[in-house]
Amino acid sequence: MKLIALSINHRTSTVELRETLHLSEQEIIDNISLLKNGILKEGLIISTCNRTEIYGLPFNNISNDDLRKFLLQRKNVSAENSNIFENYFSSEALKHLFRVITGLDSLLIGDNQIFKQVKDSFRIADEQKFSGFLMKKIFSAAVKTGKRAISETEISSGAVTISYAAVQLIEKIFSNLNKKSALVIGVGETGEIAAKHLADKGIGELTVTNRTFDKAAKLAENLNSRILPYTKYKEHLYEFDIIISATSSPNLLITKDDIAGAMKKRNYSSMVLMDIAIPRDIDPNCKSIDYVFYHDIDSLNIIVEQNLLKRKKEIPKVEKIIDEEVTAFMQWYKSLEAAPTIKNLRDHFEKIRAEEVSKNINKFSEEDREKLEIISKRIINKILHQPTVNLKKLTENSEDSNDSLNAIDSLRELFGMNDNNYNEDNQNNLKE
Amino acid sequence: MKSAIDFFNIILPILYVLTFGIYYYSFRMGGNKFSNSKRLFLFVTLLIHLIYLLFRTLYFNHPPITNVFEIFTILAFAVSFSYFILELVTDIRGTGPFIIIISLFFQIISSLLIKDLYMVKEVLRSNLLGIHVFSALLGYSGITIAAVYGILYLLLFKQIKLNKFGLMFERLPSLDILEQLSYYSAIIGFIMLSFAITIGLIWLPEAFPNFSYTDPKLIGTSLVWVLYGTGIASKIFGKWRGRKVIYLSIAGFILAIISTILSNFLAHSFHSFY
Repeated sequence: MKLIALSINHRTSTVELRETLHLSEQEIIDNISLLKNGILKEGLIISTCNRTEIYGLPFNNISNDDLRKFLLQRKNVSAENSNIFENYFSSEALKHLFRVITGLDSLLIGDNQIFKQVKDSFRIADEQKFSGFLMKKIFSAAVKTGKRAISETEISSGAVTISYAAVQLIEKIFSNLNKKSALVIGVGETGEIAAKHLADKGIGELTVTNRTFDKAAKLAENLNSRILPYTKYKEHLYEFDIIISATSSPNLLITKDDIAGAMKKRNYSSMVLMDIAIPRDIDPNCKSIDYVFYHDIDSLNIIVEQNLLKRKKEIPKVEKIIDEEVTAFMQWYKSLEAAPTIKNLRDHFEKIRAEEVSKNINKFSEEDREKLEIISKRIINKILHQPTVNLKKLTENSEDSNDSLNAIDSLRELFGMNDNNYNEDNQNNLKE
Repeated sequence: MKSAIDFFNIILPILYVLTFGIYYYSFRMGGNKFSNSKRLFLFVTLLIHLIYLLFRTLYFNHPPITNVFEIFTILAFAVSFSYFILELVTDIRGTGPFIIIISLFFQIISSLLIKDLYMVKEVLRSNLLGIHVFSALLGYSGITIAAVYGILYLLLFKQIKLNKFGLMFERLPSLDILEQLSYYSAIIGFIMLSFAITIGLIWLPEAFPNFSYTDPKLIGTSLVWVLYGTGIASKIFGKWRGRKVIYLSIAGFILAIISTILSNFLAHSFHSFY
């Protein structure tokens, strides 16, 4: 298989270089139309904050080096940076794609965002008619592998970021977040992510507050939440079941007395305090108040570390799935060569002939039976002669072309000779 | 029928061991492993247990309440049956091993020591007494399950407070759910206990000439009933919640055990049959 792949990722380069080579959706579309013009017959471009990768079936005399030059030139990056690229060929390229989609190659092992990002890249390639017969099969196999990794292993389970760990811990205390109210203090990156996680989990009422009001207003608009003025939020602490604080304040913002007063006002109904700021915003002594669950970044880190360790233990299982899927794909691909297909086709017809002859042999006299064998074999040979000749011609003239692969695959499908179900999977996965 | 009864008596502890094993394995492994098969296992075990109890009633011509070890097998059934209903209603399937182990314990003791009594006091042949005892045992099962969920609540509460995020933290449902499960079990227990007390108060004075309202078992059960009634009312009117209700539930369970031991094994009254 002439699949090639070029990758710049978090293992090979600095964040600055990755940022420079990052491609927006529009840039991907523009580059696809250029690549189609003499570089790749069909392919795929993936670009996330941790990687930019190009996969494809090259035209004759095109190598990874040409792809590298193309990308550097398009992004006006000096050629000195050539060593930041990884090159993959054939089954190794396929394997790398499977590692990417399963999250094995991610900075955060098992990152489940990458699955959606790769699927989006497939969609763009498809929309731009950059995916032919073979690439569609590769997409299908990749999606299948990603799904298997998620459903058959725990590679993507458990929180591996502080913000998400905070939300998961909250879910161990309150069963139904849609009946709870939450306040997020500070809407920097961490606070914003935590607020988004809460919104995703269907929090009943979300309120945000921030020293810079405009920033809070912007987030509140996005998440359809309430805003409290930064100078007033302390008066409202008792209204909230969950308080997440993520400011960059050098001093404590919320004292034990503040929480004790709030708890009294709310008749000691449980309250969760998540202090994900460094230095801390909430007095840790709050944990001694009855029905107050106080957690800071250290305790959340314990959850993150444990989950990362668990994900690492799942790596061999995912690698096994990847190996199985690569092997299955390569077997399917090899089956598309003309010689084994012709042999399979002949075996298939011979089997039918032999079965029918054996079923009806008693209807013929002893002297006619030998003739029956000869005539039936001759019929089969005549039926298969033209298809065999055409198939040989097709593959001799256009090795690895969509036409020949498509013809062979259709033939195998028509006569039920495919061992695996890539055709059905392909349709199902791309539809979902 | 006798050979079937003997066979069930042997097979039941094995079935409870298997059911407990599959629930425990599923708890250890997490995810949805054996999610449906473990419920099926429990259902089959309960079905065979029910047939066993019916066979005993028919063959010996009295409800299986004539000795402590018959009571134990009913208790084993009642605990797992109550859990089964709770699991069906709430669809929370991760807490089974903590409940089924109680049934396993009672069934093993029962199977080892059960006596086949053909000749029993005439009063023990009464079906009304059977209903009275069976509903009381269902009530105590509810209380037992409420206490188990209460203990799990306190365990998880402590783990969260102390930042210990081990297996229990991962597998147990949230504190809210554990509190609800404990509360619902206590309500079921309270209702069944109310039913048992009502039948007892109507029927016992007629059946026993020496009936007394100062009977230790009656006083003990009434105390448990009052305690749970108070707890449930406090919860309904929003005065108590969380750990307070849980502590009350566990206290009620301890009181129930003490009362049962005192009234059954130490005190002697019209209410003692063996």
